[in-house]
Amino acid sequence: MNFQLTEEHQLIRAGVREFCGKFVDPVANEIDQEPRFPSEIVKKLAEQDWLGIPYPAQYGGAGSDYLSYIIVVEELSRSCATTGFTLECHTSLASYPIFKFGTEEQKQKYLVPLCKGDMLGAFALTEAGAGTDAGAATTVAVLDDGEWALNGSKIFISNAPVAGMTIVFAMTDKTKGTKGLSAFIVPAGSPGLKIGRHLNKMGIRGSLTAEVLLQDCRIPKDSLLGQEGQGFRIAMMTLDGGRIGIAAQAVGIAQAALDESIRYAKERVQFGKPIASLQAIQWMIADMATEVEASRFLTYHAAWCCDQDLSYSKEAAMAKLFASETASRQTNRAIQIHGGIGYIKEQKVERLYRDAKITEIYEGTSEVMRMLIAGSLLR
Amino acid sequence: MLNIITCFKWVIDEADIKADAATRKLLFGRAGYKISAYDRHAIEEAVRFQEQHGASVAAVTVAPPSAKKCLKDALSRGPDSACFVNDPSFLDLDPSQTSSILAAAVRGRIKFDLIICGEGSDDLYAQQVGPALAERLGIPCATCVSKLTYAEDEKHIIAERRLDDGMETVLVPLPALVSVLPGINTPRIPTLKEVLGAAKKEIFNVALEELGDIPGPYLKTVEVVAAAMDRRGIRFSADEEGVRSAVNALFKEGVLSQGVL
Ligand SMILES: Cc1cc2nc3c(=O)[nH]c(=O)nc-3n(C[C@H](O)[C@H](O)[C@H](O)COP(=O)(O)OP(=O)(O)OC[C@H]3O[C@@H](n4cnc5c(N)ncnc54)[C@H](O)[C@@H]3O)c2cc1C
Repeated sequence: MNFQLTEEHQLIRAGVREFCGKFVDPVANEIDQEPRFPSEIVKKLAEQDWLGIPYPAQYGGAGSDYLSYIIVVEELSRSCATTGFTLECHTSLASYPIFKFGTEEQKQKYLVPLCKGDMLGAFALTEAGAGTDAGAATTVAVLDDGEWALNGSKIFISNAPVAGMTIVFAMTDKTKGTKGLSAFIVPAGSPGLKIGRHLNKMGIRGSLTAEVLLQDCRIPKDSLLGQEGQGFRIAMMTLDGGRIGIAAQAVGIAQAALDESIRYAKERVQFGKPIASLQAIQWMIADMATEVEASRFLTYHAAWCCDQDLSYSKEAAMAKLFASETASRQTNRAIQIHGGIGYIKEQKVERLYRDAKITEIYEGTSEVMRMLIAGSLLR
Repeated sequence: MLNIITCFKWVIDEADIKADAATRKLLFGRAGYKISAYDRHAIEEAVRFQEQHGASVAAVTVAPPSAKKCLKDALSRGPDSACFVNDPSFLDLDPSQTSSILAAAVRGRIKFDLIICGEGSDDLYAQQVGPALAERLGIPCATCVSKLTYAEDEKHIIAERRLDDGMETVLVPLPALVSVLPGINTPRIPTLKEVLGAAKKEIFNVALEELGDIPGPYLKTVEVVAAAMDRRGIRFSADEEGVRSAVNALFKEGVLSQGVL
């Protein structure tokens, strides 16, 4: 057993830390407050080879492992959760299904530009009436005149307004429930594809979240990803890996809350001494650090399982569950340690508190994670 | 094609150094290491030459074997190979020793037209290793270089030196050594492919036995303690009277002298 990161992993972390200090920290507050999508940073992520980390070089990726990717998401999220999530959504949700289920032609056409950062990707599963219950989707796809025609609407789709292609899930056979769901690659600019309302969010405010409307949206026949009826499996496998990414996002946010708390506790003087000398504060910091470390180990372990080709679905669910709830708890404590100033906008902890919550919701809620974990234990 | 050597030092990350409040002793318990920031500019400048003129770049360091980690770090920044001059005794060397070791390691072993060093190291900043190495190798040296150009046809470099009293531009025939200031360039953050590619590059180890006689130290470190900054606790108001008393206080402390004004 070896708990040490390899030299490469350590260098990757140091590189992301330097990158964030230079390019992300100075604008993170502005990204949240305006809010605005950090396109200039995304361009730089591509230059660093960070938009296709775990995918092979032949598809434009960096050919690295999952743990490298997880470290990058963690460190980016420590500075700016919007940036960390944008990369996560692109890599895990949009690129993975093509890497895993795409034909060689689809990989050349989409995975290569996705990995190189020539296009961003999005993933559209959720509908107004089908969230946790993805099988209740009402978006339909029918073959018509040698093309697929898609009709329906998706909600809460991250990156959609800037995506060069979106993986869209639609029913090809409504009578079969989840077995009737299929996945499609829908390029931006397809006839009948519209981006609807942008949603005004509590946290990760720079991330673009929008409705995707499909009104007789026409895509070529070869846009089907995998087999007809394989959509649910594609979605679930994609989300399994994505959850490790969300766990990493949560670890980054929680670590930032700890960083800020330690700094502030040493600076803030009350009763003639820094509040860090008060046991009440010390205990909070000790608990925060312990929980962050536990989350990180769960997350790295899940990534390691993935790299070792071991099953990781339960591990990913545990990592996401614990890390996301840890992030919410630590950001809450961080505000407590800051007192009144922690409640004021433009303080990083105020942003962290809002950014943390979403990690308990997307890519499967905490309730769903508990169901998955229990399910795998009680089978 | 130019052959370039770039020298770098593996130093304790100053951000990790803590000081004991009572004794002012430095605590290195959990400190990490990094490439001295000045040397990152030296490496970057060598790599810039490599990209613009097609040079081969060897990164050289003198360190104990425990510093092995520094090699991938350096190689991820662009050099083609690394030379690791290592021995357990290579700890807290003084600049005269480091320059002797470097000279012995380089001489006859690594071909070079140009050696690029950082102006000083993050920890000692003695600014001696570069000039001393040049002296030992018998080649010209330009320090405090803030801009470097290569005249390909004439086999010389043009170095702009930022000195206390102005800028100086010198023309230096190759082979030569320069020590560079941070302003010379912005070191790149290695891309992921560069980080992964570092493992595939060549590393030469040079051991103490291969170096011949290395002189003993000239310096003896008696004690290292953290600098303490005592505040006087004097407040000055922002009005004319306050400014006047602030200036007077600076005169009294010897920070300002009549001559300066
Ligand atoms: C900012 C943001 C970005 C998003 N990005 C994307 C994206 O890019 N692509 C995409 O497809 N989707 C995206 N989503 C959607 C997200 O994945 C869903 O919101 C999430 O899966 C929950 O679905 P829901 O909102 O419909 O909640 P519901 O399913 O309605 O759940 C409501 C509550 O009921 C609980 N619940 C539901 N079913 C059960 C059950 N069987 N047992 C126990 N409890 C249950 C839930 O845990 C939750 O507490 C995003 C959402 C947000 C807010």
